[in-house]
Amino acid sequence: MKKQWTAFFMLLFVLFLAACGNANDEQTVEDEGDKNQESEETRVIKHEMGETEISGTPEKVVALEFSFVDNLASLGVSPVGIADDNDKERIIEPIREEIEDYTSVGTRKQPSLEVISSLQPDLIIADMQRHKDIYDQLSEIAPTIILPSLAADYEGIIDSFQTVSKAMGMEDKGEEVLAEHQQKMEELRAQVPEDEDRTVLPAVVADSGYYAHNMESYTGSLLESIGLKNAIQSGDDRYNKINLEQLVEFNPDVLFHMSAGDETVVTEWENNSLYQDISAVKNDEVHEVDRNMWSRFRGLISSEKILEDAVQYLYEEQK
Amino acid sequence: MNLKKISPLAWILFLSILTLLGAFLSIGIGAVFIDPAVILHYFTGGNVENSGFIIGNFRLPRIVMCLLVGTGLGISGAILQGVVRNPLASPDVIGITKGAGLSAAAVIILFPELPVIGLPIAAFFGAGLVTVGLYLFAFRKGVQPATLALVGIALGAICQAGIQFLTIKFPIETNAALVWLTGSVWGKDWGDVWLLAPWILIVTPITFALAPKLDVLSLGDDVAEGLGEPVQKARLLLLIIAVLLAGSSVAIVGTLGFVGLIAPHIARQLVGNRHAYLLPASALVGILLLLLADDLGRGLFPPTEVPAGIFTAIIGAPYFLFLLRKLQKS
Amino acid sequence: MNQLSNQPPFYKYKLFIGLLGGAFLLVVSIVASLSIGAYAIPFTEVLSLLFNPDHSKEASIIHTIRLPRALVGVVVGACLAMAGGIMQAITNNPLASPQIFGVNAGASLMVVIGVVLLPGLGSDILIYFAFLGAAAGGGIVYYLASTGGGMTPVKLALAGITVHLFLSSLIQGIVLFHETSTEDVLFWLAGGIDGRNWSDFSLLLPWALAGFLGALLLGKSLTILGLGDEVAQGLGQSIGWIRGSSALVVILLAGISVAVAGPIGFIGLIIPNIVRKIIGSDYRVILPVAGLFGAVLLTISDVLSRFIAFPGESPVGIVTALIGAPFFLYLASKGGRKG
Repeated sequence: MKKQWTAFFMLLFVLFLAACGNANDEQTVEDEGDKNQESEETRVIKHEMGETEISGTPEKVVALEFSFVDNLASLGVSPVGIADDNDKERIIEPIREEIEDYTSVGTRKQPSLEVISSLQPDLIIADMQRHKDIYDQLSEIAPTIILPSLAADYEGIIDSFQTVSKAMGMEDKGEEVLAEHQQKMEELRAQVPEDEDRTVLPAVVADSGYYAHNMESYTGSLLESIGLKNAIQSGDDRYNKINLEQLVEFNPDVLFHMSAGDETVVTEWENNSLYQDISAVKNDEVHEVDRNMWSRFRGLISSEKILEDAVQYLYEEQK
Repeated sequence: MNLKKISPLAWILFLSILTLLGAFLSIGIGAVFIDPAVILHYFTGGNVENSGFIIGNFRLPRIVMCLLVGTGLGISGAILQGVVRNPLASPDVIGITKGAGLSAAAVIILFPELPVIGLPIAAFFGAGLVTVGLYLFAFRKGVQPATLALVGIALGAICQAGIQFLTIKFPIETNAALVWLTGSVWGKDWGDVWLLAPWILIVTPITFALAPKLDVLSLGDDVAEGLGEPVQKARLLLLIIAVLLAGSSVAIVGTLGFVGLIAPHIARQLVGNRHAYLLPASALVGILLLLLADDLGRGLFPPTEVPAGIFTAIIGAPYFLFLLRKLQKS
Repeated sequence: MNQLSNQPPFYKYKLFIGLLGGAFLLVVSIVASLSIGAYAIPFTEVLSLLFNPDHSKEASIIHTIRLPRALVGVVVGACLAMAGGIMQAITNNPLASPQIFGVNAGASLMVVIGVVLLPGLGSDILIYFAFLGAAAGGGIVYYLASTGGGMTPVKLALAGITVHLFLSSLIQGIVLFHETSTEDVLFWLAGGIDGRNWSDFSLLLPWALAGFLGALLLGKSLTILGLGDEVAQGLGQSIGWIRGSSALVVILLAGISVAVAGPIGFIGLIIPNIVRKIIGSDYRVILPVAGLFGAVLLTISDVLSRFIAFPGESPVGIVTALIGAPFFLYLASKGGRKG
């Protein structure tokens, strides 16, 4: 009696697996059929997870990190799907204006593969840190390239942009945009005096703590690139939770605060004479900036905007 | 209890049907709803375009994954509760999943360059290491169930401390590890299924064959020895099997909690204490629990995916309180 | 009763040695805590600035940042160790402690619920959430562990860890849904005292003092309880009353700790066990000495935690877990018997 049940149970399993296996095989055949139809020129794009062949100009692109949305917008391409954490407000204003309506594909941490596939994209751009594990599945949906974003600094972001423009078959346009971008960066850099010796510190300010972005972080390295030295030149991590004591020790001359919420640790610190003594606070150089733009986006457009912000706060707004 | 009047076999048949039905319905649930008619059409070989792609590439592997992992964790929990002789033992509680978690987190965080296949291997290795530790620290002229459980909890605590240390030391890399640490069948494909399937499909029948041993062990060491059962050997064998099942499951889907604790309990309410019935029933309940958790995670807030591990905890906690009342009464 | 009163000199001698040793270590660890930090202040200056503050930056750092943090650590450490000691006494079980009894996780979950669902709630109100959660968590575990006969170490540990895991995953779920950072999750799972200031300290102190007082008053009854329920009853002690008031004191001590510092683990487990091993089973001595050494352990752990991600901050709960978990293993491998 017992054995019969064991057998029955096993049988259910095997049947199920068999059924699924068949279904899968069919699918692969269909895929190959699709590929043969397109015979335009193909490019081989090298990226973090290997090489991907892309042909023609991708028209439906899905971006799984904000920096790739920025890259696409710079090229004048509007992605059909974005992992926007289900919050359209997270797409910064200047970019929201550039792109058309898109479909949210869920969170950046766990984007919905089903929604991505239902968009039937012809290119997917994903992040190395977050999406490495689903590369295979993304590749089954469409050609996928995996690039660093979450863990990238400014240099890495520029590299990513070049790869994206290559993947889009828009290398020339990419060069153009990049040249423009670099010219703009030059102009911004020119506004920073040679002898600028003030140190800056961008930080996310939340109720739970003060998270400083050091010189290797994306925002930090960006500001360094136009000659604004970061106040934190050490530390294993790019983002450090620090408290008032460390802030006093680093004593930055300019603070860029990306606030999360109204009540933050800084509200508390403002009552402390030590905080009032920090060079930036004393000289009234504490600036509130948009967190989405300053730390989540990591792209060309946002880089320019960040530096415009910074230059404006530092040099134009003379009090 | 009225429930107990129904024969265990009838329950298992009922659960099997429920499982098949649940699995079938799950195919339709998700960010993109798929009509049952379309699903039937798909299975009879019809062309249903993109729905077919979604079913074949995302839904089915996830559901099959639920079948395998639910079986693995459910049976593993039932065995551990038998070996430790305590209804609260489970792979999560006695450190097996935490061991897998620590070594997986270490791999994700410290060796991000490692190919994706390295992760399950490392996790499995971690689970195995905890088991060796269990025996090493709990061995006093044989292993007593109580000591085994305590040492397991302590090893789990050590692994947890290690995981926390890694997450604070490497916050950026942790982002990827967090999904894994809550446990999720999101993003699992056929490759993952084939990686796990042999373990579960080979080990599960062995456990059914060992069911009588579990019955004897649960009578207590003295009685079991009196019945001619080599208690220590049987215990070691069963423990290794429980680790194989839980370790391989966790290696693929992450530290998915509570299935191994709750499934055997529900099963016991239905089919009683005989392991020949309890083991398959635990597997079926485990599957149903996981299917439900994953359906909720996929279908509740589309396109947001909520890790199944969060829902197993949310479903598990109220049941746990219910169980508590029951234990108190009996 | 006789057993206790027969040895007054011995009891006083042990208490004296214990308190003296503990006080010495506490002073050393507090000085270390005041001296070590991102902002370099010469060791020699620390003490003089502590007692003669000038208006320098160094003095402000010591007085507004490091001193309140160190004192919060001292009080929380003492609370947790005493709570653990009382729990071990009433359950007669060496594994009992705020963490393993689900008290920490319960309090933490309630505070998280308060913070997430009712934002803008003052921290003075959240304390009551913590008390409620501590009572609920502890109650569930007690209920579970004492079903079907006595509360053996293994039953307590299994029930406690299961409840702990449940509550922790709920915390994790809530915090993840709330879209906050990994650091937030960790704080509510591990606990920390970085950035605590004077207002946290003044919130903590009255409740903690009430708890300390309660613990000291309970010392004698707990010792008698240790002789067995029958003996205690024979000596005219009401078991129910002792258990009830002990539970109240534990909730007070553990709840206030979690409200201010998050669920810092293992201090309540390690310290009372070590103290009992060294100075015997007289809770009139154990509780104050354990409090003192709990303070020492948390202060030292806090100093160590500054080096994990220097110059960034890390939750001290990680350090206590790294120290405490192996000790737990040691206790466990002895089968949870009293050593």
